[in-house]
Amino acid sequence: MMGVSMVQSSDTRSRRGGAGIKVGLIAGIRSACGHHLHTIQDSFNRLAKEPLQTIMTTSVIAIALSLPATLFVTVDNARQLGSSFESFSQITAYLASDTSSKQVATIKQQLEAIPEVKSVVYISPDQALEEFVHSSGFGSALGSLEANPLPPVFIITPKAESPMPDQASQLVNKIKLITQVEDAQLDMLWLQRLQSLTQIGQKIVLALGAVLGMGVLVIIGNSIRLAIHSRRQEITVVKLVGGTDAYVRRPFLYSGLLMGLMGAMGASLILVLGFWWLGASITHLSELYGSQYRLNGPGLQGCMLLVATGGVLGLCGSWLAVGRHLKGIKPK
Amino acid sequence: MIYFDNLSKRYPGGDEALSNINLQINAGELAFLTGHSGAGKSTLLKLLMLLERPSAGTLLINGKNINRLANSKIPSYRRQLGVVFQDHQLLMDRSVFDNVALPLQVAGQPRKEIGRRVRAALDGVGLLSKERHSPMMLSGGEQQRVGIARAVVHKPRILLADEPTGNLDPALSAEIMALFRRFQDVGVTVLIATHDIDLINRMKNRIIRLHQGMVVDDGGIDGSIF
Ligand SMILES: Nc1ncnc2c1ncn2[C@@H]1O[C@H](COP(=O)(O)OP(=O)(O)OP(=O)(O)O)[C@@H](O)[C@H]1O
Ligand SMILES: [Mg+2]
Repeated sequence: MMGVSMVQSSDTRSRRGGAGIKVGLIAGIRSACGHHLHTIQDSFNRLAKEPLQTIMTTSVIAIALSLPATLFVTVDNARQLGSSFESFSQITAYLASDTSSKQVATIKQQLEAIPEVKSVVYISPDQALEEFVHSSGFGSALGSLEANPLPPVFIITPKAESPMPDQASQLVNKIKLITQVEDAQLDMLWLQRLQSLTQIGQKIVLALGAVLGMGVLVIIGNSIRLAIHSRRQEITVVKLVGGTDAYVRRPFLYSGLLMGLMGAMGASLILVLGFWWLGASITHLSELYGSQYRLNGPGLQGCMLLVATGGVLGLCGSWLAVGRHLKGIKPK
Repeated sequence: MIYFDNLSKRYPGGDEALSNINLQINAGELAFLTGHSGAGKSTLLKLLMLLERPSAGTLLINGKNINRLANSKIPSYRRQLGVVFQDHQLLMDRSVFDNVALPLQVAGQPRKEIGRRVRAALDGVGLLSKERHSPMMLSGGEQQRVGIARAVVHKPRILLADEPTGNLDPALSAEIMALFRRFQDVGVTVLIATHDIDLINRMKNRIIRLHQGMVVDDGGIDGSIF
């Protein structure tokens, strides 16, 4: 029997309410946490109840996320490769065009006397022009020039195989102090090429990431739409017994979050395994070249970032779907 | 408690489902709402549940005009109501216990309290032994009683029922009605829409008769004092 406790005169109501505020705050928070945990558990169980569907959705999300992530890590590796090679560079010293051959000989001696310098090669303006004519094909146009515009040049190779970048620039400054040397530069043309390639790569990562991120939003939004559809009656009943919109939304948001997180974990796994597998061969290759270079995988931080991205995408995707499709269900 | 003041409802693109309804239902009263199919019984209950909004007139609950209740306040308003449906609206993928617990869950009640109250409600409708069952394993009458338990588990002050005995045999219908009367006995205001004239004539409660959206007979006004 329900008993006489069914009677709720207005004063017992208010008394109970008053006590409830004092006693109930902690209990309320605890019950809210309990409710959230329960909802997460429930969302998870629902995903587990349809393993095939869940595995398929998760795999698609994982693949969609792993593509831009792989490219991102690859570009990052190229960037690191660039910075590790920066120090190997040769230095070009440009001499004043009126330098006599006697001066050239002294400068060569001076250069060779610098302890960090390994070897020095002189390229006269005539040699340089000849080489340029050969390689550029501007032969006839250059032939019509009255004077050779090119300066005499020394190509200097530093002794240390990989001096620190600041050591290299110290060396450059030292070379610049020599009389008749007008300018000295670290020869970084190929490095600049690598850098601009890296920049293009980064842009591609960004574009691909944006497109595939949208794809993930759509995938998650669609499975949330299906979930909402199959739980129509439940949503109606929950609303009829006084469930708030937030209460109705919550399980779907958690489902989206879980799907995003699981997809991203899958993507992390793909990345870690892929780079580990490739890394062994790269290590072997760079050992053949006598290089210390190692391929860097996504790392723990990268994986965490990826998982967080997946979670955010999942939450956004389900938020969009919930906003669109819950409106269609009858009671307000 | 419930006060309809010159209230009308016109569905978009339809005739008036309710016109100029004036009714007062006092706290602790049990009233039946009857009339032919299409008379507007369900519409009247839907207005009370805020599933529909009136086109004209005022609807006061406990002196509060609920016409202008903001959408965000609807959930807390609905928690004061208990609602029983003809098709009981039970969720077949959860147990009897979980179905009955729903109104408490959405109100964020602590788990212990939910357990206690759900068992009390199931005990009240004589189904405590079936709390672990799925509603699918129950008979029609039992399902309807689970629906009633869900409607009263949060101790609502107003209980609304739309044809709660619609497809039950007379004995079961009488049993269900007796159950409603027990809630009236403990102070709940009960409003039941039904076709079952024989049954309600035997019950000697107020009968509000609707015809084409108008109140044509109100036994409460003629017969009883309040
Ligand atoms: N959603 C709706 N849209 C348009 N018209 C509606 C809607 N619901 C009900 N009506 C109309 O309002 C009138 C009253 O309907 P209502 O459902 O209230 O009747 P009722 O008394 O409950 O009938 P029944 O006994 O068959 O359940 C009917 O003419 C019906 O066609
Ligand atoms: Mg009806």
